[in-house]
Amino acid sequence: MDLLDNYKKAWKNQPEEEDKFSAVEIYKLAQSRSISIVKWIFIIGILEFVVLNSLYLFIDAKEALQEYKKLGLENFIYVSQTIFYVIILYFLVKFYLNYKKISTSDSTRVLMKKIIKTRKTVRSYVIFNLAYTAIISIIIMFAEINVNFEDLSVKQILLFCLLILLLITVILVVFWLFYRLLYGFLLRKLKKNYKELAKLDNVN
Amino acid sequence: MQKDLEAKFLLDFETNQNIAHKICRIYTTNKDAHNDLFQEITIQVWKNYPKFRGDSKFSTWMYRVALNTAISLYRKSTRRVKTQDFSDVQFKIKATDYDDTEELQLKSLYKAIHLLNDIEKALIFLYLEDKPYKEISETLGITSVNARVKMNRAKEKLKNILNP
Repeated sequence: MDLLDNYKKAWKNQPEEEDKFSAVEIYKLAQSRSISIVKWIFIIGILEFVVLNSLYLFIDAKEALQEYKKLGLENFIYVSQTIFYVIILYFLVKFYLNYKKISTSDSTRVLMKKIIKTRKTVRSYVIFNLAYTAIISIIIMFAEINVNFEDLSVKQILLFCLLILLLITVILVVFWLFYRLLYGFLLRKLKKNYKELAKLDNVN
Repeated sequence: MQKDLEAKFLLDFETNQNIAHKICRIYTTNKDAHNDLFQEITIQVWKNYPKFRGDSKFSTWMYRVALNTAISLYRKSTRRVKTQDFSDVQFKIKATDYDDTEELQLKSLYKAIHLLNDIEKALIFLYLEDKPYKEISETLGITSVNARVKMNRAKEKLKNILNP
């Protein structure tokens, strides 16, 4: 007899759980709030949409518009902002639909795939948002230089460019590290398990 | 309608709760974590219960939801304070027809299983529960050939831990 067969017998004969839950207790448990990682991904995803988009609220819209007018970027900003919000809306809808598709009664592999897909939507959104901010900042920087070209020395222009680029880089790095930490913390286990299952499929 | 569903769920879940308890014992090592995971399994089974169509047995379906919760959804909660380790308190056997050897075997089996990774735990659990490969592969979402390959490896690993 196989070694494991003995253990299997012991397994089968193991007594039922002593502290069984009554129907009332089960009812209460079922009504309580989930603390699953899917919940966390959803909450964090929504927070990201809210936080990143509310940063604009701190900018005085009137003043900014004046500045854009001065730079001759008024139409450009208008069009790019419109496109920006359409794309944001697309991400938001996609995120929600992916989230809704997550079902614990799927197979383990499909479930993990869907969770990873949902989180990837958030990642794409964040990358898009940061890239948009960076590009617009660079365009404004050039427009700024263009308008003030005659008043500035080469040295000043270079210093200005360097400063802006440095600022953008620092912001991007900080965000990147933050996300690595946040999702690394949340999804390390899931990713490891997904790899383990995927590895299995590559065997043959 | 809702009341009917609730009543059915409670009956199904209460009679099959041992599945969830066994999974909790495999994936957690103390009583608090056990209860934490059990709670999350209960929530997930209830949340997905309307999707259970009854084309398979409830227990079969519950294995899947409960394992999924343990493998993919559950994160060790840091809110709770760790209590006594499991292995010493968990298996005080009441029944008289249960002999010592089996009790010891069961203890070392659980200890060994705790050393496996999450996927191996699921495979070994389904093996111990006598699930056919078809069901195992459907639960995990992999082909049954792959389920076999991985199962053999998990069993080998378990044997090596049990009998080094």
